[in-house]
Amino acid sequence: MDDSQPTPSIDLKGRSVLIVDDDRVNLKIIGGILRHEGFEISEASSGEQALEVYAEYRPNLVLLDVMMPGIDGFETCRTLKKTYGETCAPVIFITAKNKADDIVMGFDAGGVDYLTKPFRPKEVLARIRTHLSNQLLLEQLSKANAAKDRFLGMCAHDLRNPLSSIRGLAELMSERAAGSLTDEQMEIVQTIHGASQSMLQLVNELLDVATIEAGHLKLAKEPTKIAELVKRSVHLSGIEAAKKDTLIEMVNRTKNPVIDVDRNKMRQVVDNLINNAVKYSPRGSLITVQINADDSSAGFSVKDNGPGIPDNERHKLFKDYGRLSAQPTGGEKSTGLGLAICRKIVEAHGGTIGADNIPGHGCEFVVRLPRHK
Amino acid sequence: MNFNGSILIVDDEAHIRTFISLLLRHLGVNRIFEAKNGNEALEVYEKERPDLILLDVNMPMMDGIETLRALKRANPDCVVVMLTSLANRQTVDESATHGAANYIRKDAPFEEIGRALAETIDTCFETDAPETKPPPQS
Repeated sequence: MDDSQPTPSIDLKGRSVLIVDDDRVNLKIIGGILRHEGFEISEASSGEQALEVYAEYRPNLVLLDVMMPGIDGFETCRTLKKTYGETCAPVIFITAKNKADDIVMGFDAGGVDYLTKPFRPKEVLARIRTHLSNQLLLEQLSKANAAKDRFLGMCAHDLRNPLSSIRGLAELMSERAAGSLTDEQMEIVQTIHGASQSMLQLVNELLDVATIEAGHLKLAKEPTKIAELVKRSVHLSGIEAAKKDTLIEMVNRTKNPVIDVDRNKMRQVVDNLINNAVKYSPRGSLITVQINADDSSAGFSVKDNGPGIPDNERHKLFKDYGRLSAQPTGGEKSTGLGLAICRKIVEAHGGTIGADNIPGHGCEFVVRLPRHK
Repeated sequence: MNFNGSILIVDDEAHIRTFISLLLRHLGVNRIFEAKNGNEALEVYEKERPDLILLDVNMPMMDGIETLRALKRANPDCVVVMLTSLANRQTVDESATHGAANYIRKDAPFEEIGRALAETIDTCFETDAPETKPPPQS
């Protein structure tokens, strides 16, 4: 091996390259160089044939001449990109057309690189290696990402059941279902309950993220009066809020718009926003939940009395694990996943979610969803 | 909860059976049976004829839906409530098609589980009160 050649860190042996050129001599020269490097080679002498060979061999990379009888290289590339979309192998043009405009056209047609004839074998090889490595890394990355999501989902699944039993049993015990408890025993059992509760919530949120990331978020949409859905959450959260002397009021000046939503998922969004408002507002606050509607959208907003969103943390707000500096005011727990999940659910509905500070104190989260047609 | 009948809990996980069974006792149900898989569930069902079956959806070997179908073959009128850890729409719909009366999320707070149980019992045993049924001879 040539000493000046840096050892490639990724093994590319056996990766396949389709060479397309109407000039037999070129096919032979380039083919020889690439075979010598351990690549699998297939050949085509026209654009039409390239499409056929591509379909049969599904190469990892295409080296494509531009000027050929029949459909030219640019057109061949466009057809490949259209047919195979995201999974299409990278295409490198190799051509005597070397004007700046030609090169731009090549990139417009979907090529990843552009080599001009006469070519320098080392340059051709270096570029092919770069693109094959990138492609291989991308493949590995997307596999690893899918594996991570599967792992996360499985983990969360297997943690959920035991955790919910621990929580349930502690809950039962603190209800004195197994006889009376001393003050100390009660404190212990309530601590177990509290800890398993927050862990269960974390696992649930991780599972939600894994499901959504893996593209398994399926919405079962039904026409729904958004005000009724929100009202139920307001009612249920009111009990928790009362423990912090916080009042949740609901304002509805709309004509009860009906929108298509997955009720369970949307309830999760409403609950999350209201719980956040309670969590980050001082004791004795007033949380306002308002139903909004205009011609094209309907939704709701939640106003709190919390510290608001610091400008320098705004970008983290709807991101995974994007916990801000604000602390819950009653010792509640936060995973930093809640708002990211909300955003994903709202966006899956074709809607938007945003947040703004209210001058004075607090902030307002607004969810807008497309209207039912 | 005003229910004098008997309940069979089917779940492959012991801690879930313990939790649900304690919860039921707490709610005043006294006759509780347990089974750890589908086959055992069918055996216990034949022997004890419980009034209500709480059936886990996810079990190895014979899963909840299969067990549900087998139970319905044994007695089309048996009342089965599915236990799920996720409100998986598809499973919920599928079990409803096969005659499940309701579903309960076992990861819900226990008040909610209790409420869902009470609701099911109210709807399913409104007219033919199970109180009238003699206890099984054991």
